[in-house]
Amino acid sequence: MNNEILRSIRSHLAASAPHDAREQVSRRLTQINADPISVNLRQSAAELFRLNLEAVNGHCVIAQGETEIARALTQIIVRGQRIAISDNPLVERLMHLTDLEIEALTIAPNDIFSYDVGISTVQAAIAETGTLVLVSADERHRLVSLVPPVHIAIVDASRICETLAEALTLLRNGRELSRAVTFITGPSRTADIELTLTVGVHGPQELYVIVNG
Amino acid sequence: MSSLTSETFRENAKAALADAQLRGALKNATSLFGERRREAAASLPNWEALRTQARAIKDEVLLHLDRYLEEFVRNAESCGAKVHWARDAAQANSIICGLATERQARIVVKSKSMTTEETHLNDALEAAGMQVVETDLGEYIIQLAGETPSHIIAPAIHKTRGQVAELFTTELGMPPTDDIAQMTHTARLTLRDHFAAADVGISGVNFGVAETGTIVIVENEGNIRLTTSLPRVHIAVMGIEKVIPHFADLDIFLKLLVRSGTGQRLSTYQSFITGVKKQQSDEGPEELHIVLLDNGRSRMLAHPVTRQSLACIRCGACLNACPVYQQIGGHAYGSVYQGPIGAVITPQLMGIEKTSQLPYASTLCGACREVCPVKIDIPRLLLHLRSEIAPRKGSIVERLAFKVWARMMMSPTLYKLSSVAGRIFQRATPISRAWTNDRDLRPIESKSFHDLWNE
Repeated sequence: MNNEILRSIRSHLAASAPHDAREQVSRRLTQINADPISVNLRQSAAELFRLNLEAVNGHCVIAQGETEIARALTQIIVRGQRIAISDNPLVERLMHLTDLEIEALTIAPNDIFSYDVGISTVQAAIAETGTLVLVSADERHRLVSLVPPVHIAIVDASRICETLAEALTLLRNGRELSRAVTFITGPSRTADIELTLTVGVHGPQELYVIVNG
Repeated sequence: MSSLTSETFRENAKAALADAQLRGALKNATSLFGERRREAAASLPNWEALRTQARAIKDEVLLHLDRYLEEFVRNAESCGAKVHWARDAAQANSIICGLATERQARIVVKSKSMTTEETHLNDALEAAGMQVVETDLGEYIIQLAGETPSHIIAPAIHKTRGQVAELFTTELGMPPTDDIAQMTHTARLTLRDHFAAADVGISGVNFGVAETGTIVIVENEGNIRLTTSLPRVHIAVMGIEKVIPHFADLDIFLKLLVRSGTGQRLSTYQSFITGVKKQQSDEGPEELHIVLLDNGRSRMLAHPVTRQSLACIRCGACLNACPVYQQIGGHAYGSVYQGPIGAVITPQLMGIEKTSQLPYASTLCGACREVCPVKIDIPRLLLHLRSEIAPRKGSIVERLAFKVWARMMMSPTLYKLSSVAGRIFQRATPISRAWTNDRDLRPIESKSFHDLWNE
């Protein structure tokens, strides 16, 4: 690559060299202790995740097995609501355990704003921040997690990382980065009018996470 | 409001000081964000180490910016993104208008981006016949009102809920209310129509990861996700300084950015976008264009003092900490970048001629340096810029005064004489009315330290 901006960068850096010799430019990278934010070893990752999710106005349900998850779903969803689901087979299976009617979000692109609830799984979660990690290569959940006013996410307890650093390593580990990765920490929020916290501006107003395990 | 320029900084500041509503809003915003930042930083035991590390990474990138940019471009393009290089604002705007026009775009949705405000992209798109809709709630409010942002994190902080309600009633037909949730809901519904109709979505970029070609965008509202998911074409505008080496570095930079900006642990949404979708049936845009903007940035590389301006991650912490910004707010700076970092970046981007008052908009107290997550020495930068301005714009009286002062300090006799003269003249002449109107000037002691020592 050789263009005028790269040439400009190189010539200005060259001009800087004599000044740099006089300055102490901190080029040495120091090692940082990656302390988890909340160090409480008695708390399980799932419990820490729940606390941090609730601190950002998210709801958390701990369920064991598919029957319990399905029951949790029927408790969250109000009968008659239009439901969109991702293409994850687990979500479809769970919906069959309930007697709720489902529609896939992507079937009618000009109709996407008329759904009430979106349901997906997520590929990982982060305990120290209460964050969900969505990987586009594994599931089509970009829109179901964003457009309906309610998003219900299902995560396996074994997929909860302790720290942000751990989650970033997991995403990068040995494989090509997925085309779209999304982190979600609580429902959509704004404080743009008089600094008053308002939940649900562009994304979901409510976020439910069902932890399996 | 939008017509203010940096050339009239002093007048702008005076007007802002007389605006009680603005000052009340600023006090609330800066103290709230400042307090949240303090708590968030204190909750991380290794905060100082994170700052040092982040700065070291930035220094490394900036010293080899050409190589990191080449790596970023190679990796982004290998995943299907198309990268465009823009030397200045005009070229960036013409590239973006060209892309939108070729695709016969009529409606463009935008998420908050300082870089596109820097290039005045909206004016260019509108001149090309397109409707541009800002989708961040604060930005949407000020776009409807025809104003400019007053705060980097809370762009419409200068408006009361009453003013927003009135605006939405007039412009959007909302029934009168003072309920902020209702106003927010009105904006949600109106903007969804725009999202559904938009042909192109334009966003900024918080970080570009060299090793993966990923762009990272951070937000709370979800409008960035909609902007980058729904339209067929996504154009991301990125300053050339936004590149970081490794995906794992995001651990440090996300922690610092979010905690310094809003005091959250993480913002609600982080979008990590690497190229375009692999097959038609996947979700997301078909095209991703990344516009790399220089616009005066590469010039800043030429000296280590100015180069550190490019380490800025646009968190806004220095604005909240600055005693000048706390009083006058963002509009007075007459520029896109405001507060302490604005006072050093604006003159470097736009040239010193029209912005020479900005480096003086500081008491050099150092609060900005204390809070900066990447340890930019803003006071030193301010002094550096002042030293460039002074020979050109400094007053003759000032220069003469310092010459006389230097002469006096070098001669013991003249020095003694001057202290005697000072004692007499201080009482005799009403010096600096502007100063003594609100303060008492301590009289010079009748005996100097010298006199006492001799006794």
